[in-house]
Amino acid sequence: MPSSHRPRAGHRALLLCALACPGIGIGSAHAALNVLACEPEWRALAEALGSEHVRARSATNAFQDPHHIEARPSLIVKARDADIVFCTGAELEVGWLPLLLEKSGNRRIQVGQPGHFLAASEVERLEVPVSADRSQGDVHADGNPHVHLDPHRLLKIAAAFSERLQAIDPEHTEHYRRRLDAFSSEWVAAIDAWEAKAEPLRGTRAIVHHRNWSYLLDWLQVDVAGDLEPRPGIPPTSGHLADLLQDTRERPSDIILVANYQDPKGARWLAERSDIPLLELPFTVGGSEDADNLRGLYDAILSILLDGA
Amino acid sequence: MTALATLAASAWLALPAGTALASEIGISVVLDGFYTSGESALSERGTGFGLGHTELSLHAPVDDLFTGRLTTVLESHGGATELELEEAFLDTVALPFGLGVRAGRFLSQVGYLNARHTHADSFAERPAVYRALLGTHYFDDGARLDALLATPFFWRIGVEAFEGASLAGGEEDDDVGVVTLKSTWGGDLSASSSWQAGVSYLRHRLDVTAEAEPDKTARTDGAGGAPGDEHGHAHSHDAAYSGENLYVLDAIWKWAPRGNARARQLAVSGEYLYVDELGENAAEGDAHEGWYAAAVYRFGPQWSAGVRHGEVDLRQAHGDHFHGQSLRETDLMLTWARSHFSQLRLQVSLQDADGLTDANDTLTLQYVMTLGAHGAHAF
Repeated sequence: MPSSHRPRAGHRALLLCALACPGIGIGSAHAALNVLACEPEWRALAEALGSEHVRARSATNAFQDPHHIEARPSLIVKARDADIVFCTGAELEVGWLPLLLEKSGNRRIQVGQPGHFLAASEVERLEVPVSADRSQGDVHADGNPHVHLDPHRLLKIAAAFSERLQAIDPEHTEHYRRRLDAFSSEWVAAIDAWEAKAEPLRGTRAIVHHRNWSYLLDWLQVDVAGDLEPRPGIPPTSGHLADLLQDTRERPSDIILVANYQDPKGARWLAERSDIPLLELPFTVGGSEDADNLRGLYDAILSILLDGA
Repeated sequence: MTALATLAASAWLALPAGTALASEIGISVVLDGFYTSGESALSERGTGFGLGHTELSLHAPVDDLFTGRLTTVLESHGGATELELEEAFLDTVALPFGLGVRAGRFLSQVGYLNARHTHADSFAERPAVYRALLGTHYFDDGARLDALLATPFFWRIGVEAFEGASLAGGEEDDDVGVVTLKSTWGGDLSASSSWQAGVSYLRHRLDVTAEAEPDKTARTDGAGGAPGDEHGHAHSHDAAYSGENLYVLDAIWKWAPRGNARARQLAVSGEYLYVDELGENAAEGDAHEGWYAAAVYRFGPQWSAGVRHGEVDLRQAHGDHFHGQSLRETDLMLTWARSHFSQLRLQVSLQDADGLTDANDTLTLQYVMTLGAHGAHAF
């Protein structure tokens, strides 16, 4: 679709700045909506839903722990230029997103503005604590934020984000609707295929490293038999690992799951002593060669799980 | 939850979904305590047990245009506890053209460490050059205007005006005693490493009459007294050494494998400070100067180790002439963090001084505990 040159709300500031501050115009795509995703899965979704009308970048890569990011200068510049931020929310980015927003000087993306979109706010969360203090670890009061590995929730998030794109960029509403329809029908078909394929996993038991697999395992009806972290956010200790080993002897687990950005030491220790297969999975888009888009990510995770279990 | 926070939370309920990040007043408490084996030169910590920067901080959006922060600090020195208002400021939210205004009492933008809260530091105390020239951290009443420039790389510039009396020798009857300028650049070198560098200038209108008398090297209200004097003087945050011009160069570089700082990160930083025009009795070329360089390596999710070396050369006023003083200091530290919110630190500091008392080799044990609102991960 040819891009339009008519000005749009999100671009007025850019135009003003192009006059006031020489240098800004260089290199910025003239009509694409600038999306700053906090994590790679949201960049992939924004690209799927916006195609040529969005220019999406991710603040983090698949090998970074999204809890532990610093608001470094290059991220402040990306936030300054964004028309919309697409983040997980539920306190996942609580250590750095507020600072990024503050330092960006960008009104469009502040909390409460249309250019501030949080995926986890669009869906029901698992593991919402009745009461939380930090003696239970780094528990998020809004529940488990790692929502992108349940394809049903992802579909809801896609619809909500598309609606937001249409609101910010009404000129291309029709385009965004068509993209959403195409994405949704492909995604629904993919879910059917994944669920059929994953049938053998139902009822198996998994030991995880951190609760970032909860949505995936809830969807696949895999039971969580234990967590390598004694408390969320606290690395495995030898005493806790010994307890887990004892548990697996009493009631065996089928697999141990770690994301490939996590330190696998504790998981390897347990896998060696218990003979339970250790599976290192890509956690998000870009986490392995096959996981180059959202469908590829789900395909890659499922095939590793099915091979291992 | 306190009544205040409950009130704030209920006020936010009217907002649409997606406002979880700002759903209540952020309340944070930092507990900072230490045991140190001996006195140190240019330090007010004393020996034995003590409380460092124990702070209570409240922050929240005021409305869609302003945010506010209030930070009170309790410090205990040799049995005396003092309460100080360290921050009380408003910030504007996203003015046009990347402009931002801060007004009230706040930490000055000069240098790299100065604008950061001390509990975010990797070492138990600020480097000697900061303790001598900035009173560990310089904050004051004033206003700041800064701008994030619309360049393809990170470039921020800022100007501040302060009342100025809390720097040594400041003229208390002046409306604007201190003006600062700062320029900061930064960027990524690769997916694994990033840098930031800055240049700062601080202009200080000296109270020349106070500077000329040895007993008045700091504020004239009796709170001062240069380190190295007899003990028992009241504690003060005032910088003990001053001049009309302060220049600071700062740089930091951080590396983590594929940018994942969770388990491994190397941070190398350094600053150079230079102060000249020390007063009417100063000779040509009289200046204070100092620097530090630090390397901190996180080698596991819970462990980090670091080394820092710094030197400072000072000119202390004695009537109509100056005495030279100098200090060389090396710190080695090891920190264990159970979670994101607790730190236990062991530090060895080696000092070698000329013209300063209390230069000792000391061992310090320190804890820093954070309660409440999640702190910000500044670069």
